[in-house]
Amino acid sequence: MDCATSPSPATAAVLRTLALVGHPNVGKSVLFHRLTGTYVTVSNYPGTTVEVSRATPRFDREASLLDTPGVLALPSRSDDERATMRALLNEDMRTLIQVGDAKNLRRTLNLTALLAELGVPMVMALNMTDEAKARGVTVDAGALAEALGVPVVATVATGGEGIAALTDALSRAAVPAPLLRYDPVLERDIARVEQLILANCPHPRLAARGLAILAIGRDSEVADWLAAQPGSADVRTALAELTAPTGRDTLPARLARERSSAAEALARTVTRQAAGKDRTLSMLLGRVAVHRLWGWPMLLGVLYLVYLFVGDFGASTLVGLLEEDFFGEVLNPAVTDFVTRHISTPWLADLIVGEYGLWTMGMTYALALILPIVTTFFLAFGVLEDSGYFSRLSVIANRMFAAIGLNGRAVLPMVLGLGCVTMATLTTRILHTPRERLITIYLMALAIPCSAQLGVVLGLLGGISFGATVIWVLAIVGVLLFTGWLASKVVPGKRVPLVTELPPMRMPVLGNVLKKTGGRLKWYLIEVIPLFLIGTLIMFGLDRSGALPWIIEAGKPLVVGWLGLPPEASAAFVMGFLRRDFGASGLFALQSELSMIQAVVGMVTITLFVPCIASLMMIIKEQGMKVAALMLAMIIPTAFLIGGLLNHGLRLIF
Amino acid sequence: MNATPSKPIPQPHERIRLIGTPVGRMVRIDDFGDEIDPLQREQLHAYGLSAAHAVKVLQQQPMTVLLCEHVELAIEHAVSRHIWVQPA
Repeated sequence: MDCATSPSPATAAVLRTLALVGHPNVGKSVLFHRLTGTYVTVSNYPGTTVEVSRATPRFDREASLLDTPGVLALPSRSDDERATMRALLNEDMRTLIQVGDAKNLRRTLNLTALLAELGVPMVMALNMTDEAKARGVTVDAGALAEALGVPVVATVATGGEGIAALTDALSRAAVPAPLLRYDPVLERDIARVEQLILANCPHPRLAARGLAILAIGRDSEVADWLAAQPGSADVRTALAELTAPTGRDTLPARLARERSSAAEALARTVTRQAAGKDRTLSMLLGRVAVHRLWGWPMLLGVLYLVYLFVGDFGASTLVGLLEEDFFGEVLNPAVTDFVTRHISTPWLADLIVGEYGLWTMGMTYALALILPIVTTFFLAFGVLEDSGYFSRLSVIANRMFAAIGLNGRAVLPMVLGLGCVTMATLTTRILHTPRERLITIYLMALAIPCSAQLGVVLGLLGGISFGATVIWVLAIVGVLLFTGWLASKVVPGKRVPLVTELPPMRMPVLGNVLKKTGGRLKWYLIEVIPLFLIGTLIMFGLDRSGALPWIIEAGKPLVVGWLGLPPEASAAFVMGFLRRDFGASGLFALQSELSMIQAVVGMVTITLFVPCIASLMMIIKEQGMKVAALMLAMIIPTAFLIGGLLNHGLRLIF
Repeated sequence: MNATPSKPIPQPHERIRLIGTPVGRMVRIDDFGDEIDPLQREQLHAYGLSAAHAVKVLQQQPMTVLLCEHVELAIEHAVSRHIWVQPA
């Protein structure tokens, strides 16, 4: 969620570049932190890293180390895999550090079989050797190094084991020996394309043979790179002429299958499997989490614990202490007293400590109302993501997501959206098709509240009754499912069935959870405080100019007539245009005037209201201006339509 | 984990669908059906599911869950229905 590093290709052009590459969830980001001291978010699910991060390694201040998104396989197929392929193609790549999972060497070598063809010196970090040992798996690192012709270092990145040996091994990095020769027909095609690349558009770093294999495998990034090279016309013509060999498999599938066989053969010779524990608490919890019956009580239990921690402890106890007791009784009266005594200009004093004052509204909302809520949320969230539970949710949620044209993989960005929709929008890159990404981004923009908004909702509705919270949840989930179902009918393309890895359940490391929470809070406050202050300033300006009373009056038919809210709620919706949680805070401030129905209707409407400015910018970045505008045009009427229907429906019942 | 109805034990060389394999059974991947999308077939290879490789079936509901070299894989029935296996 936070990104401590920023890409700077201009700088990289003069620096030696090393890159951590490997499968998702094998510990690349932990190693990156160990080797550079720079923290990037680390979690226990595939797809935590969707963009390349860059930092200077401790062992060589003249170099640049990249942390790349995990690749299930190359040629690249998903957006995060394409980001890794782009880094391989466009950076001055001097050394690759392949990070592999020691307990699944065959899969690691499957990727090695392709990386070895790229002609870049390499070192292998065989990570998670502790987990392999617990399962009775031993890898003969010496024999593997001999076979590959590159240093192989056993590491446990989370515990810092093997890091020094890995750093030492970098000076011995070597171009790996090829793991296989493809069958003669494939070899003939590869050689033909390789020769054409060498003759017409050689890559400054990557071997033509590796590029040929990737191009024949239909890697879109390599295709784009070739298209951008002058003189690549012959290569592209040759690629177009390549027809699938006889049999039902496509060329890419045949290449993949041969690599897989070669990886299996080598893995078998260097791996020993002794009896390991076949029933641990981690395994038992993992099975319960995806069990068709027990998975649901476990999910409800987890949600209830989160509710108790965030909604009850964070949004009630902590907010009560901070907002009512500290800010309300001590700090704000003191600041108001100080300002009124020292500033004689009434409007200026009002700007700081008035009804729409920068301190009494902007800072008080940001620090006293939102901060305790997001802190408890990020803590709970960090524990859950490090435990590996989120990946298992994809199995439980798969059937429900099938109804909206998605598969369970989409649950990951949606759950991450409960932390921050902006960054979750970026995480949709782990989804495999543009259709899945479009539907998921739309649903998140419409119906996934971010942590701050969620906290305000839980704080307000939880204070009224548990039933009010349940109505809000049912309304939002109902809208999510119905809109998703409609979107799946409208957006062309077919649904992709789910095939996914389930990482082991692990005990979260307190240090990592705290570090992540700290990083997220810092990022959050940097974004929120300026926006809250700008929002307050706008509200102050509207109030002073007489526009706010006019807006409240003009909004009456919609806000009072249709939604059944007090007229002042119009101001909250104006605030909601800047950030939904700011708008929700506006409703929270009106809580003493709201009935149960009004509170539920207000919170449902503001939850479905426009995404925050940062999310909107991210949607534009990922989907383009036209799609973003279309989404907005659908979201705003939907929010008011649902809010009004709920208002009238609830009044019939209660 | 799941209670499954007793099923006849497949004989060696008898090809069955992964979706019909009893929980707890070790099986070898035999083939992927044409119904599986080529990209998804590549994905299955990348996860380590390849011909003649032995995997253990951990669960069949709500999805097929396999243990493939100490890594658990969840496979939707729409795919596991078209994966052919043999008893290991």
